[in-house]
Amino acid sequence: MRRITFLLLLFCFAAMTSIGGGYQVGLHSTKNTGMGLIGTSLTYDASSIFYNPGGVSFIKDKWSLSGGINLIMARVTFQGKDVNYQAHLVHELNTPFYLYASYKATNNLSLGIAVNTPYGNSLSWGDNWQGRFLIQNLSFQAITVQPTVSYKFKNIVGLGFGLVWAYGNVKLNKALPIDYTGGEGQLNIQGSTIGFGFNAGLMIHPVKGLNIGIDYRSKINMDVQNANATFTVPAAVRSQFPDSKVEVALPLPANLDFGVSYEINEKFLIGINLCYVFWKQYDSLVFNFKTKTPSLGRTAMPALYQNRLIPRIGLQYKVNQIVTVRIGGYYDPSPVQTDYLNPQTPSSNEIGLTAGLSVYPFKGFSIDAAFLYLMGTKRDGTYSPENFAGTYSSVFYIPAIGLSYSF
Amino acid sequence: MKKLLFIILSLALFTSCERKINEYAADKGSANFTTYISVGNSLVAGYADGALYHDGQLYSCPNLISGQLQLAGGGAFVQPMVNSNIGVAVYPGVRPKFVLGYKADCQGIVGLSPVLAQGDMDPFAPVGYAVNNLGIPGAKSFHLIVPGYATMNPYYTRFASSMTGAVVGEFANLHPTFFTMQLGDNDVLAYALAGGSYDSITPIPIFYYAMKTVLGTLLATGASGVMANIPDVTSIPFFTTIPYNGLVIPRQSLADSVNMAMEHFYHLPFHYIAGPNPFLIRDMSASPPFYVRQMQPGELVLMTVPQDSLKCKGMGIIDVNTHLPYPIPGEYVLTTAEVTQIKGATSIFNAIIDTMAANRHIGLVNMNSRLKELNSQSGIVWDGVHMNTTFVTGGAFSLDGIHLTPRGNALSANFFIDAINQRFGSKIPYVDITKYKGVVFP
Repeated sequence: MRRITFLLLLFCFAAMTSIGGGYQVGLHSTKNTGMGLIGTSLTYDASSIFYNPGGVSFIKDKWSLSGGINLIMARVTFQGKDVNYQAHLVHELNTPFYLYASYKATNNLSLGIAVNTPYGNSLSWGDNWQGRFLIQNLSFQAITVQPTVSYKFKNIVGLGFGLVWAYGNVKLNKALPIDYTGGEGQLNIQGSTIGFGFNAGLMIHPVKGLNIGIDYRSKINMDVQNANATFTVPAAVRSQFPDSKVEVALPLPANLDFGVSYEINEKFLIGINLCYVFWKQYDSLVFNFKTKTPSLGRTAMPALYQNRLIPRIGLQYKVNQIVTVRIGGYYDPSPVQTDYLNPQTPSSNEIGLTAGLSVYPFKGFSIDAAFLYLMGTKRDGTYSPENFAGTYSSVFYIPAIGLSYSF
Repeated sequence: MKKLLFIILSLALFTSCERKINEYAADKGSANFTTYISVGNSLVAGYADGALYHDGQLYSCPNLISGQLQLAGGGAFVQPMVNSNIGVAVYPGVRPKFVLGYKADCQGIVGLSPVLAQGDMDPFAPVGYAVNNLGIPGAKSFHLIVPGYATMNPYYTRFASSMTGAVVGEFANLHPTFFTMQLGDNDVLAYALAGGSYDSITPIPIFYYAMKTVLGTLLATGASGVMANIPDVTSIPFFTTIPYNGLVIPRQSLADSVNMAMEHFYHLPFHYIAGPNPFLIRDMSASPPFYVRQMQPGELVLMTVPQDSLKCKGMGIIDVNTHLPYPIPGEYVLTTAEVTQIKGATSIFNAIIDTMAANRHIGLVNMNSRLKELNSQSGIVWDGVHMNTTFVTGGAFSLDGIHLTPRGNALSANFFIDAINQRFGSKIPYVDITKYKGVVFP
């Protein structure tokens, strides 16, 4: 019953938002969220399927199930440059989720499946704000399904590989500066697509208490071939802006993660992670309208993202058999250059602080909670192709809850 | 679970407040905006779409500037308001404003075109109160120093404090502390709008003397301010919308017959091809008996050229009735010589304006280079609004092809604000361009 309500929750509210850099989400296990979003070298539960498939074969139990949901509350204020104008991001609750299941087929061979939301960006600035000719609202979500196989050699080295199937959909609204009696022009784009990638990981367990993990998640090309573009324009210019199919291509960037964790004693664990995100793969957002007119063709919005390295650290303390607490932190440098800071992804260099708690009412079952606070930052920038300049001030509050059951 | 829910709910409450950023802090710098007046021509008055009407005045460049100056101590800004939203009957036969509408041309093809708005214009009457916006449609530099100008220009009559005085005589009574000025455009534009056929470019000494007097009188009030120089008027849509080679011959067979007629009947050395060809224009220096020649690249056709004659009567090539060469009359064309004259005068006038502004510590709005930027391939982009000098779709010029749309005025106001901030070290925020409309489609 519990699981059923949980699933209902997911389907009602599933919507993602980017936190910190770009449009990567990073919230894939409430336990890991509590300790700085590290995970590459951890093997607590089936969330390793995502963090490092090489670690799945190290999971001790026959079955491991894990699921959870994050509640992202973003507060962003925009102050236009040299104008007497401020806008606030519309308050929305975004809810990236995860579901994992792993099965130990033999002592060394494990199988698993992950359903989660590694990428997404959902925000709304309202219909009438100053930047409406760039974006009014945007919702982009990618849900991935990853069947995985993992094998370990002599309890020392684990290798894992997962195929990633991604379903993505995008919805976008922006105003057009075409005036007519009673309003201005409007463009709506909606579409969905699927993409493929892979996730490969290596886990090394050289001595008791020490784990070293390396994981590579490939780029996934989300190429929406036949999105629907709907124009609201005055009849007089209708022939210039016919409703059209449009191709929208957005790459989900590759990640290379490296992590080390060490169990200092029965109670303490410390871990670090270095995550390298190949953001350069996002060069521009291209809209290729299939019905061409002199006003409609192929438009590229340059993004020119930069590759970034995210360092993370986390600590865990087992208070007793029932309670475990965690803290962590990380630094997420923005992949967006100052000249390309866009209200679609008002990203800035973020420091994230996390805290978490697990309660084990009985053996193998845990209720996990975590809280991630992305410290308020302020960033000046201009999206120069559209000459849109201003200061963005943002803060994120992200509580997360999850359940894990291993048996 | 209940505990968790409670924690989440309290967090939700805690996060309901917005992020704070300091609001823009406007500052007057060394200027005093208490009493602001604007001086100049139709661009100052808020004339648009071929008429002076209510909304055009609301979106006049000085009125938008004033709205921003009020954030830094500026006072009320009074304009000689027209109540009608289509125009004011300043003289018999004056036309109402243009709106974009559908019109059938001589071939019966219905298309989008500027059409005259329907409705009642304000009757001509003095407004009866003193105004801050002294913009006078049609005013040239020297008109401002002519005594009795109110008897010559009804737009001035509407708010003149005296029928016998000069416009410069108004300044002292208004006790201005600050001014903006956009004057001198008509000293070249009036000649250009007449196709170089009547009217004339103001002689340089007169321009010099007039500007000097106007500025002297303004500064004598103790006010300080900024002034604009003169853009290249030949790059506005009024002159650039109809190309010199807008004569399109649909078929080669038709071009062949034209060539035969030109060569054998009229002995004119013009050769036509299928596709675009230069229009034929009147040129008294061409050979008799027809005194016609083809237009050259760089020569301009005015937007007021009778388009039905071009399309259906053979104007610009051969008259469909008389079968004689049918040139476009000179009043609808700027020839290379005329364009050179206009550009030459503009650069001399601007040298005078630039020097006078510098010597008198008046801030300069380089409208000339701003219009060049607007006229460039990429135009001007502001908050995602792309603007250029293209008629209708460019968004900046109104339906008369000369004056600005509300959006164009907002852009122009921001150019003034740049100059004000630079000259006086003030911090006047920009006008939010996205709030103002371009050409409105039906």
